[in-house]
Amino acid sequence: MTVEKNKIRQPRILVFACKWCGLIGADGAGRNRVSLPLNFRVIPVECAAFVEPDAVIRALASGIDGVVVMGCHVGGCRFNDANHHAIKRLELLGDLFDTAGIGRDRLMVSFGTAHEDHQFADVIRKYVDRIEQLEPLEPWVTSLVKK
Amino acid sequence: MSEITVLLCRCFGEIDQTISFATVREKLDKDSNISSSICVDSLCIGRDIDAVISQIRESGVKKVLIGACSGLARGDQAVQNLMDRGIARADIHLVDLREGCAWIHRDNPDGASQKALNLIDMGLVFLKNKDESDDVSVTMNPDVMVIGAGPAGLAAALSLGRFGITVHLLERSSTPGGMLKLITRSYPKDDATTPRLEQYLDQIEKSSFVRFYPRSKISSIKGYMGNFKVRFSSGEEEQSITPGAIIIASGAMVFLPNGLFRYGELGNVISQMELETRFKKGNVTVKNAVFIQCVGARCKDRPYCSTICCPSSIKNAIRIREDNPDTNVFILHRDVMTPGNVLEGYYIKALSRGVQFIRFAEDNPPVIKGEKIIEAVEVYDAITGHTRTIESDLVVLSTPLIPNHDNQHLAEMLDLQLDRYGFFREIYPMHPLETRMDGVFICGSARWPVSSGQAITQGEAAAMKAASVVLKGEVRAFTFSRVPGLKFGHARVTPDSCTGCGNCMAVCPFDAIRLQRIDGKYAYVSRVNKMRCKACGNCVSVCPNGTMQMPEHNYLSVCKMIEKAF
Repeated sequence: MTVEKNKIRQPRILVFACKWCGLIGADGAGRNRVSLPLNFRVIPVECAAFVEPDAVIRALASGIDGVVVMGCHVGGCRFNDANHHAIKRLELLGDLFDTAGIGRDRLMVSFGTAHEDHQFADVIRKYVDRIEQLEPLEPWVTSLVKK
Repeated sequence: MSEITVLLCRCFGEIDQTISFATVREKLDKDSNISSSICVDSLCIGRDIDAVISQIRESGVKKVLIGACSGLARGDQAVQNLMDRGIARADIHLVDLREGCAWIHRDNPDGASQKALNLIDMGLVFLKNKDESDDVSVTMNPDVMVIGAGPAGLAAALSLGRFGITVHLLERSSTPGGMLKLITRSYPKDDATTPRLEQYLDQIEKSSFVRFYPRSKISSIKGYMGNFKVRFSSGEEEQSITPGAIIIASGAMVFLPNGLFRYGELGNVISQMELETRFKKGNVTVKNAVFIQCVGARCKDRPYCSTICCPSSIKNAIRIREDNPDTNVFILHRDVMTPGNVLEGYYIKALSRGVQFIRFAEDNPPVIKGEKIIEAVEVYDAITGHTRTIESDLVVLSTPLIPNHDNQHLAEMLDLQLDRYGFFREIYPMHPLETRMDGVFICGSARWPVSSGQAITQGEAAAMKAASVVLKGEVRAFTFSRVPGLKFGHARVTPDSCTGCGNCMAVCPFDAIRLQRIDGKYAYVSRVNKMRCKACGNCVSVCPNGTMQMPEHNYLSVCKMIEKAF
């Protein structure tokens, strides 16, 4: 019973999908009527470089369990090398999460892996499974505050 | 204060068989921001839209939220339909309810309805905070600068001249022609190059639109598509021009095989280009000629195939055989690269003319025997396994084309990328001949080694691309989009709060941001060039205090969307 309690029941996942890759995958998944879990919401962005690390932290702070950032594969960005910069930034953010004790699993960075419907569905399903294994953030944060 | 109308598209039942519109509308009616929610059968049919538009007009509401299919399906069309009927671009937002919700959650209608509500809420906060970037327009300068007067540059300049576009043709040497000057025949048709070149030069001379600048050296290039500012010297004169587009046709260099196969040591070991100059002087009469392919190509230093050496060797081998049928010609190769519908026939022609092809392995190259003159070439035939000794008095080394030394300099001036070998790089295959800088095009061997025929084709193609830029006249910055459709927006700086840290300048992939000194102070403020900006948002996400924002999708709306997501 206690084990069940510490797991995330209905994960809340926020997806920042680049309009030229992740969003095309999401669109393809819709067109092919791929059945997907309800746990994710997509925010379309022009490029993965638009995603501010600050916004990811804010999402986790406001009760979201995991954030996915989807972008084009490296070298295939519509905006020259914008997603190179994005990868570097988000990798650093992952390091920051590790240091802070949240763990880098909370942020998934997927570049060039969600361009097609089945790939998108795969990424979402696997990430939902992974997040379900984690503990919810909120009790952890409140315990820290109490100390 | 109600200010938003929500348009829900049923898509003839595709959406509302999963998402319960009754529940959604019930919740929406309680929202004080929403004046009304309208449910229509289909937004992509003109009749329905007209009815909806008159309803919106009567209510006096400006902003419209569309809940329909995704933008890639018919959603963008629906947005366009509303824009055509007089609703501003900044006042419309599309929420993807069909692909993004109804079709992927058909097994759970209740959850889908809840998700649809969340998505609409996210769309509402997005629309509330949506602003529009101020648009500027720019007049395209009607000139084009062509760098390099080789076959590609000449073809580009001439076809632009035929359009009536003023062309500034810059050339490093004193005469135009490039490598076409050095060779006498071109493959695969074996036509003489001199008449073709003379025809080009004649046309250039007659054309009143092409200005030729010999012995020119570029000192600086500034500006953006439509308004480049170029300073260069032609001979002794300093010149300054303002072209609207730039075509780079600077070509490539021939690799000199110094130290390879005893080149420079024995008199009759020559490179392919030296053989061409011998042909220029007259017929080449030898007893036995041996061509060695891939000298300095497809090796560790230059792993690429130069693509022109095999056909040129075949061309010269056929010519030697035809001039003097008693001569034996051997081509020692690692692979014969004759792709395409014409060149393979050229290879067959060489075989039928009696040119002998011998394959050698990379790790066992041919050896040239002899003390002061060539006596023989010893080669291990990789197919039969025999070592053959070929008596010969001429060895021709086929060397690849290598990038020009000043490519780096030119690339730095224009903020272009070079590939790992040093040739100019295209952005990606969907945009041939285009570079990462708008209005700068590459063609000919500056891009990749090509034959003169291909260089001419590419030159004319680049000319058409440049013409499509400079003939536009006045252009709005919103249309400066590399991707299909209108641009998303431009980044906007609030000068009062900008600290001038320069983070945005460092990450901008289009070099669109500059730091500007504030008058009288030792402080800087960043400035966005709206022509160059492509709205990727890289600067937005590195700005430490939120000064840099994308008006269409600012940080506030991202935060609000996150709050409303679940």
